[in-house]
Parts: sequence; C-alpha cells; structure tokens
Amino acid sequence: MIEVESVHKQFAGRPVLHNLGFSVPDGQITALLGANGAGKTTCLRIITGLLGADSGRVLLGDIDVARDPMAARRQLGVVGDREGLYERLTVAEYLSLFARMQGLSGGALREALDSIRSELELGDLWHRRTRGFSQGERMKVSLARALVHRPRHLILDEPTRGLDVLAARLLRRTLLRLRTAGTTILFSSHVMPEVAELSDRVLVMAGGRIVGSGSPRELAQHTGCDNLEDSFVALAYGDTGGEEEQRQERAPA
Amino acid sequence: MEKRRFSPQMAPLLLKEFLETWRDRRALWMAICFSLMFPVLLAGVTIFVVKKNTEETTRLALLGAENAPLLERQLRGPNLEVEAVAEGSPRQLLNDGYDLVLQLPDNFARDYRDFRAPPLYLYMDSSATGAGRAEHHLQERLNSLQQLVVSQRLTARGVAPQLLAPWQLQVRDVSTPSSRGALILAMVPGLLILTLFVASLATSVDTSAGERERLSLETLLLQPLPAWQVIAAKTLAVASLGWLGSLLAIAALVALMPVMPLAELGIQQATTTGGVLAMGLLLLPLALLVAVVQILLALRSSSFKDAQTQLSILQIAPVTLLMVLDAARIDLTDNYWQLVPLVAQQQWLKALLVGESVSVGWVLAGSLTCLLLVAAAIAFGARALRRESLLGAV
Repeated sequence: MIEVESVHKQFAGRPVLHNLGFSVPDGQITALLGANGAGKTTCLRIITGLLGADSGRVLLGDIDVARDPMAARRQLGVVGDREGLYERLTVAEYLSLFARMQGLSGGALREALDSIRSELELGDLWHRRTRGFSQGERMKVSLARALVHRPRHLILDEPTRGLDVLAARLLRRTLLRLRTAGTTILFSSHVMPEVAELSDRVLVMAGGRIVGSGSPRELAQHTGCDNLEDSFVALAYGDTGGEEEQRQERAPA
Repeated sequence: MEKRRFSPQMAPLLLKEFLETWRDRRALWMAICFSLMFPVLLAGVTIFVVKKNTEETTRLALLGAENAPLLERQLRGPNLEVEAVAEGSPRQLLNDGYDLVLQLPDNFARDYRDFRAPPLYLYMDSSATGAGRAEHHLQERLNSLQQLVVSQRLTARGVAPQLLAPWQLQVRDVSTPSSRGALILAMVPGLLILTLFVASLATSVDTSAGERERLSLETLLLQPLPAWQVIAAKTLAVASLGWLGSLLAIAALVALMPVMPLAELGIQQATTTGGVLAMGLLLLPLALLVAVVQILLALRSSSFKDAQTQLSILQIAPVTLLMVLDAARIDLTDNYWQLVPLVAQQQWLKALLVGESVSVGWVLAGSLTCLLLVAAAIAFGARALRRESLLGAV
C-alpha cells in the first residue's frame, strides 16, 4: 500500500501540490492521469523520495519515506521518465550491479538475474552494452533494473512513451503478471486506451490535487461520459475542457 | 544519521564507477596523451636548447681578408667558421646563409701598424634567429684576440700587462648539481599537478553533470545508498584516472632523463627509485582533492557544457597560482606551507626531483590535511545531492 497524506509542495513560491492525498492498494494497478503541469512527476518523485514534501507524508507500507529513505528505497522499483542506463556497461553488468546495490548476493542474485532475463526476454541483449539500444530495448532494461530485486512497490512515469507495439505489449504483460503476484503498481500515462486496459483504479490530477478517483467504469458513471478519455477531460479541465480542446485544435501545429 | 552509516552496497557502486571511468576511451586517451606529452616536450626542448647552444656553428664571411691575412686564421675556432670572401655586398652575403659579415677596410693593415685603431665593420641581421648568439661568438673571439695583442704590445715596450689590469675577476659557481636541477626542473611540479587536473577532467564532468543530464544520476539516488557513498565512489574513480595520469607523467619523465643533456647543464640525475615512489604516493591525496572539487563544481554547473567550461578554467588556476608564488619569490621554506595543498605537493616534488629529502612527518601532516579537506568536500557533496535543483526541480 502506498499512502500519500496531505502533501504540499511548492517551487520558488509557486504551489505545485495542494493537500494531495490518495492511497494505492496492494495487488492493484493504479494510473495517475493529469494534464502536463498537473504535478504528476513531482508527486511520483515525492513518493520515491527524490524530492521532499513541504508538509504531509508518504508511507510505503508502514515506512515513512522521508524518515527512513533507505528502507523505502529497498521496497521500491522505479522507472523514471528517462531510462537511466549506463552506456559503457553490458546489460548483465548493469542489472547485476543494481541488484547488488539492493543487497542481493550469491544464489539469490543469480536466481534474480536468470529470472528477470527470461521474464523480460533479455537473452539477445544480455552481453551487449546499452549504447545504441532502441527505445524499446532501453525501456526493457530499465524495467528489468527496477524489478530485479522484486520490489513490493513499482512506480512508472509514462512507461510506454516511445515504445513500439511489441515492447508496449511486453510491458503490459509484465505489469499484469506483477499485479497477480501482489505488487503495488502506480504509473502515470497519457495513453487512455492503455490506462483503460491496465488499471484497476485511476487517479485524475489537476492543479496539484486529486479531482477524481475510481475504476474507469466508476469515473465514466460519475462524469456521465462514455469513455475514459472524456471522463478525464471532464474531470481535469472541468467546464473549460471543451474550450481547451478547441483552442488546441485551432493552434498551429 | 543515514549518511554516516557505511553500507556494504558500496562495493558494487565502486565497481560501477570504476567500470564507467576506465571504459571511457575518450577520457582515457586524453589522460594518457597529456601525461606523456609534457615529459616528451620537456625533454625535447632541453635537448634542442642545449644542442643549439653547444653544437651550432656560426658562419662568418670576412670581406677584405687580404688586408689582414692572419686574422682569418686567428678568428677560426670551435663553433666559428670563417670564410674569406673576395667580393659581395654584406646584405647579399647575409641572405646567402652567413650569420655575420666582418668587413676590413683597405687601410686596415697600415692603420693597425700605426696604432690608429682601424675600425672593423660587423654586419648582422638582428631579425634572424641566432643572430645574437653568432654576434656573441664573434665578440668572444675578438675580445680574447684583442687581449692578446694588447698584452704583446705592452710586453714589447717593457710594460707589464698587469698595469692595465688592476684586478682579475675569478668567478666561482657555488651552486650544486641539485640546486641547478631545481632551477631547470622548477616547472615540473606544476606540470605534474596540471596533469592531475587535465587527466581527471573529462571523467569528473561525465560522472556528475553528464549523469545528471542523462538522468542516470536519479536512478543511482533511488538506490539504498547514503549520498556520501555516491560522492566518495565517484571521487575514487575519477581520482584513479587523474593519479594514473600523474604516475605516467612521472614514469615518462624519469625514463626520459637519461636522454636529456642534463650533464651539459651541470645537473646530475639524482632521482632515486624511492623518490619516484614517494612522488607517486604524495600525489594521491591531491588526486582525491582535485577529483572531488571537480565533481562538486560540475554538479553545481547548469549543464554539461557549462561544467566543461568551468573546469577548463579551474585547471589553469592552480598552476597559475604556483607560478605566481614562484615569480613573486614568496618564501615557502616555512614548514607550515606544507599544510597547504598544492603548495605542499609542489615543494615536495621539487625536492624529490633533485634527490633531496623531504620530512616524512610534514608530508604525513600535509597529506592528512588534504584528506580532511577531501572528507569535508564529500560531506558537502552529499548535501548537494539532496538539492532539488540538482534534479531540475525548481
């Protein structure tokens, strides 16, 4: 369970998150939706402990991220908005080093590496350095790094951005398998069909707070819309959603 | 509290940093090339200067040699080649490859016999390389010849030549081979320290500003590792490359000393194996300090390019400082200077290069001061890693 309680955050006097609160249940996939600038990335960075909240707190299970960041990091797997690869390391070296940084060693390390190699179909890439990898290959390696230590909580920031069909399918399959295994998954995305297919629960952010939450079906019922995209527009942009849409259509490409 | 705890996960972190550093071919080549370049340049320049001063011959054209037939033979000597030329303009002769043209007037013999001090016309092209050296050669020969003639004339008239020499100046050089070596090799410590800066520059920028720009630093900060260990591991990896550079430079310098004409300069090679090892060891704390300062500066820069610019300027600063201290003739013999990083290493290297000993106690104290500064910088760096602006969040 991830719990975000009354989190406030501002940058240079400009409020970004206002009294933000939500929870992400175990064994479910939760999607965090929001327009650009809604505060999604800041929220995810506070959950991972990369940024500190001005007030409020974040709990991973019963661990307060701000008070015990080391314990929190051991329970977290994070795929950021860039892959964070080291191009002079092979995939095997990269995953082995990060698994060891997470405390794995000996047989457990070997087992974890073998397992992630087959689960994410990394065999062909295993002994190659990551320089020159395609976007899909980079995402696969990054996901493998986030999962190699079997974290209880997985955070992904727009994970399917730039992925081809096969890589996106592999990612979706992996997330569904992890959900079955009881992993708590929180991801942000702008791709509505993907969110509708994957998510048990959707959180809609606007102006630094949660403006809607529930399953895709519940959101549709609540907003009186037919699909998730319309529900999102209604919640995130409110009455101005239509105007915003028209403004964007009028804007030169 | 977290930052003080040692985590066993530092071993893979260190391995990661070392693999990244030593596989960076561009940084490695830069370190190796600069480290080898300056000893080779130093040896080359020394050989060239000595060769030019000792082996180069001055070519003198003597116009009107028939007016003083003996002069041609008497001027001839080592490094002075004299050729009697029947005709030609002095300018043309200088263009034809002569360094100097000495013209004797037609009435030279008669005036010489009549003690009328006939003039000698010396033509030279002061814009030509080596003109000064050639003139110096000829003046030396003419002076000694003039002394001889004066002495003969006085003796012939029964006057003791000593009457015209109220004293005799005898020069006694009290310098030792070591002190002469210190003068010649004065620039070497500064260049060795510069090598530390240059050899670690590319890696320090890549591991800090580079990682931040590629967002891989963020990935590292998400691991259960105290921030000080991240900075310490990066410092060790960067310092290893800088240190390798300075070790290579020392090895190349010592290897090239036998081919350098040190004997011609009155210097004996006094560097011992122990001295070479000591030079390497005492540069290690400085390599760490240079690495951590470069990493901190690169982390606070706004971009990869900005970091490169800042560090390029930084690498000139310490060497300039050492040169200014040398030029200003600031007395650095006080032992407390050995507690000041850079100045201390410069003084120790200077002594060891010419075979003098250094105080082990002061070297340990100076190195410890340097390491304390490294520890303080690592602690400062750990705080910097928690800055939100580091992650581009402002």
